[in-house]
Amino acid sequence: MSFASIEEVIERFAGERYICNRTIATVVYLAAHLKKPILVEGPAGVGKTELAKVLAGALGQELIRLQCYEGLDEAKALYEWEYAKQLLYTQILKDKIGEVIEGTKTLHDAVDRISSQDDVFFSERFILPRPLLRAISSAEPCVLLIDEIDKSDTEFEAFLLEVLSDFQVSVPELGTLQARHVPLVVLTSNNAREMSDALKRRCLHLYIDFPDREQERAIVLLKVPEAAAHLTDELVGAVQAIRKLDLKKAPSISETLDWAKALTLLNVDSLDSELVNETLSTICKYEGDIRKAQQELKEYVARQKAKAARPTATEPPKDLLH
Amino acid sequence: MDTKIIEFAGLLRQNGIRVSFAESLDTFRALDLVGLRSRATVKDSLRATLVKRAVDLPAYDALFDLYFSGIGEIVKRSEAASMEALEMTPAEFQALLDALERLLREQGIELSELARALLQQDSGRLERLMREAAKQARVDRIERSFQEGQYAQGMQQALGIGDLARELQAISEAIAGMGNPRGDDMQRFVDRRLQELQEMIRRYVRRELEQQDVAQRDSLRMQALAEKSFYYLSEDEIRRMKEAVTKLAQRLKNVLAVKRRHARRGKFDVKATLRRNLQYGGVPFKIQFDERKRVKPQVVVLCDVSDSVRNVSRFMLQFVYSLQDLYSKVRSFIFVADIGEITKLFEENEIHQAIDQAIRGNVINVYAHSDFGRAFRLFHRDHLAAITRHTTVIVLGDARNNYNLPHEWVLKEIKQRAKQLIWLNPENKMTWGFGDSEMDRYLPHCDVVEECRNLNQLYKVIDRLVLV
Repeated sequence: MSFASIEEVIERFAGERYICNRTIATVVYLAAHLKKPILVEGPAGVGKTELAKVLAGALGQELIRLQCYEGLDEAKALYEWEYAKQLLYTQILKDKIGEVIEGTKTLHDAVDRISSQDDVFFSERFILPRPLLRAISSAEPCVLLIDEIDKSDTEFEAFLLEVLSDFQVSVPELGTLQARHVPLVVLTSNNAREMSDALKRRCLHLYIDFPDREQERAIVLLKVPEAAAHLTDELVGAVQAIRKLDLKKAPSISETLDWAKALTLLNVDSLDSELVNETLSTICKYEGDIRKAQQELKEYVARQKAKAARPTATEPPKDLLH
Repeated sequence: MDTKIIEFAGLLRQNGIRVSFAESLDTFRALDLVGLRSRATVKDSLRATLVKRAVDLPAYDALFDLYFSGIGEIVKRSEAASMEALEMTPAEFQALLDALERLLREQGIELSELARALLQQDSGRLERLMREAAKQARVDRIERSFQEGQYAQGMQQALGIGDLARELQAISEAIAGMGNPRGDDMQRFVDRRLQELQEMIRRYVRRELEQQDVAQRDSLRMQALAEKSFYYLSEDEIRRMKEAVTKLAQRLKNVLAVKRRHARRGKFDVKATLRRNLQYGGVPFKIQFDERKRVKPQVVVLCDVSDSVRNVSRFMLQFVYSLQDLYSKVRSFIFVADIGEITKLFEENEIHQAIDQAIRGNVINVYAHSDFGRAFRLFHRDHLAAITRHTTVIVLGDARNNYNLPHEWVLKEIKQRAKQLIWLNPENKMTWGFGDSEMDRYLPHCDVVEECRNLNQLYKVIDRLVLV
């Protein structure tokens, strides 16, 4: 069940409550048809991970997620033998094993006898599939999300390269496992580290930036429908202005949503309120940032007011209170 | 289209964007899928398949617009220009064109291909002719702006503009000889088109030049920035400085990570291994190694803000600010004759304000004569506790002491306590130790001493530091 056109991508994503622009849709469409992984980059909190989730939802496929971190290795990403289970089984089957080696004269014979049957213990029964192996051996097509690939080590990246180019994995005891369906792969990166050229060459590249004002407004309206329309306008404008400041961490989309929810919950209907300053901690997470944001917010509200005061004097009475 | 894509990929490469052969192939497949109808879609598809680094995106956007706006745009613009010059509405203009065509047919005047394309506003044909001429004249080899004239001339020759001029002259005369009521307009139109053609050629050559230039301009800017001594920092420059310092910090961190990984595979930990394998009946399935504790880098920076280093103190403070932004355990001090801590100030203020306040004298008196000895002594008295065996101490200053007592024993003591003592001197190495410079006395007590007054030197310094 793939996408027939770029428009269909936008439509089906909208069905999953994800607003995407044409650039994103084009890349997703290409990836689905060229069977290439997408490498998504961009600032934190623009919906990179969400993109993969929504993609899985839109395609009606399972999402398999691999979270990368420093020190992540093959055993955690691909597969592991279940030692404990193997041990347990050998304990339980002690008698049976005794039967098997019964009648052998020498230690050598006994080992031979057992080793002829050791594939019982190194079978798929005792393998613990990790995300990569699950994605490859999955009977249904699926979406594989490799999150924050930039956090992983370079060795792991090289290993990943091998998996992504052939979609096959070799387990020495079992042989080579070939993917039944080539999964749609989404890699996300916060650019903490430059990825290798070889990896980039195999991927389609997608850079997602913060949404523009219109788009962000649409997102807030979609996700927080209970927020008043003019509050949404003001709030999105303010967030856009705050993002332009030199902050340690710019407010993300989800934080905009949190703020909208918080203000709605507190029954605030205009940014020109004491409460607003106190809720700024939902969008800024550093003391210094909050202070800068407060300053900017004050100026923003003043600007808005000046703008509103000019064309009509019949604005709601809230302006007259001051 | 295929040749255009290959050419475009070449252009990207020329501009420092890495595009591999495999990626060009992807582009063809992608374009097969999405088609060529929508310009935006083509742009997105090329971007996704060809450009893999976020930093290259602006250059890509500029190049795409330059390359694919192309001749068509130029030709179209010239038509509009002719119409405007004759002060006609589109309908009148069209009527004039028709009249001219009819007249030429009646007179039995046979036009050359170029003249026909030009006079009948056949933009497709004109485009093709110009492209061929450009190829013949090798306009794509243009490198400098002074070559514009030369290449424009080459293109004119390739188009055969001399013959064209004669031909148009003849037509113009023929029109004049007939006494047609619209003869004047037609003559003006014919003259105008010749001028327009020259204009189009000029524009085309200019556009080619711009394509060669995009990345060069960028790299030149970075170069200029790196060499600059930071008298004044623009928004853009601060961003770049930040990028540079972040990159440096990243490099440091990577090296540390590798070291840590090696360290992690250190000693075999018997106790932990036994405990961990209790669940397997004491059979050591999983081996446990010693884990080293992570020590966060601790940095103490002493920055000279006296008059003698006025022109570089902004740069140095910027470096301090970036450093403090990146690491949690940085304490920064500025000194002239007194010494004052600015950690808090830098934490709480935006970069411009912070630096301004630091050098305006809100923290210490900056108009005093520098006295490194006194400043060091005060540091020893008040802040020595800040230095532990995990601390890296960085001194930024020129060591011009106004013949005061140098008190180098403080440095000696700092070096004993600290992990590392680094001195970055903005002055040229040749002048160290001359006049009132006490660098020679301080030098033996430092682990690393480097000359550093701009970003390039800073890069080099960090490169070397990493190796230590």
